Amino acid sequence: MASTDPEHRDVEETAAGEDEDTGAQVAPIVKLEEVAVTTGEEDEDTVLDLKSKLYRFDKDGNQWKERGAGNVKLLKHKETGKVRLVMRQSKTLKICANHLVLPTMSVQEHAGNDKSCVWHATDFADGELKDELFCIRFGSVENCKIFMEMFQEVAESQQKKEKNEDASAAAGLLEKLNVEDKKAEDKDNEEVPVAAAKEKESESEPGKVDAEKKGEEPAPST
Amino acid sequence: ALPNQQTVDYPSFKLVIVGDGGTGKTTFVKRHLTGEFEKKYEPTIGVEVHPLDFFTNCGKLRFYCWDTAGQEKFGGLRDGYYIHGQCAIIMFDVTARLTYKNVPTWHRDLCRVCENIPIVLCGNKVDVKNRQVKAKQVTFHRKKNLQYYEISAKSNYNFEKPFLYLARKLAGDANLHFVESPALAPPEVHIDLAAQQQHEAELAAAASQPLPDDDDDTFE
Repeated sequence: MASTDPEHRDVEETAAGEDEDTGAQVAPIVKLEEVAVTTGEEDEDTVLDLKSKLYRFDKDGNQWKERGAGNVKLLKHKETGKVRLVMRQSKTLKICANHLVLPTMSVQEHAGNDKSCVWHATDFADGELKDELFCIRFGSVENCKIFMEMFQEVAESQQKKEKNEDASAAAGLLEKLNVEDKKAEDKDNEEVPVAAAKEKESESEPGKVDAEKKGEEPAPST
Repeated sequence: ALPNQQTVDYPSFKLVIVGDGGTGKTTFVKRHLTGEFEKKYEPTIGVEVHPLDFFTNCGKLRFYCWDTAGQEKFGGLRDGYYIHGQCAIIMFDVTARLTYKNVPTWHRDLCRVCENIPIVLCGNKVDVKNRQVKAKQVTFHRKKNLQYYEISAKSNYNFEKPFLYLARKLAGDANLHFVESPALAPPEVHIDLAAQQQHEAELAAAASQPLPDDDDDTFE
């Protein structure tokens, strides 16, 4: 049936010859050197990768607008364990969404469409933080379900992680207090133990530095 | 670039986009800028200039897209917009024969001002079932040495090809291709409870709005 359809045949014919260059010979106006390509995703593992179409909500027009079509990915950082959602437009490979998945987030059903779902995020796709309402549509109900479950699971795991971090921070604080207590005690004694306590204090330094680094890490390298 | 437009430290080119009114020049540019597909027709008055960046294996490139008015009554400076154009796109609508018939006029006017620049002819709206201009009937590009692409701003069919072709010609590198733009680590954000509640309310309202292309089940 399709092969007898004239329109369809036209498209096929063009598709066959579309790489043919019929353009004039023009002199190039710039000379460019090959550069190293960085995706920015090198330190992350892909936990989800699905073909989809993304929309953002236009509040002024009270309507959904297309943002891009391509693959949506959930990327987990190999060291920090943080997970972000990154989506690129197919063919041009430009970023149409780039945001952290946080415990405060929840993905919800999109009324009347079981292949799509919605969520709020502070998005960094354009290199500046912007509040966005997103809707994503998949080719199948199953893929939408997979996405929603994974998104929710990740958001919840980030909460646990945050709690753990709080707990370890508290533990670190306690340890420090202990050291200081000891220091105070030691002050009454000879000088040698004081030096030992100091040494102990500096031993805990690397951990502190790590924590500080962690805080700085998400800042964009603009 | 316009005097009030920021300059960039990577190669940039002035791209002139011409063609009859309603052929989809503005929709095509908007599609690349924000991803949206604008169905509503609002004629462009004079010209609108938009910077459009692409990431390639040879670094970042920018096209300053001079999206000109197709309708004669809104033409503005016309040829005045073509000055220092370094590449061009001539757009027609495959569902409106007259827009193809007018291609030679657009080409002639463009070439009077811009000599020897790479030009891409685009037949837009190839997603529409009832075409008036079939692919085989498009021959102008062969006579005048233009590159031709059938495109659809609606379905994104070949939508990257015009830019890729022009970038390759301007750089004289047939192997130039688009690469992933670096996905920078998003900064940490802290959302207070009040803001979170507002987002949830907005989300609930948005969730009841249908998608613009719910009927369309295929996408790339």
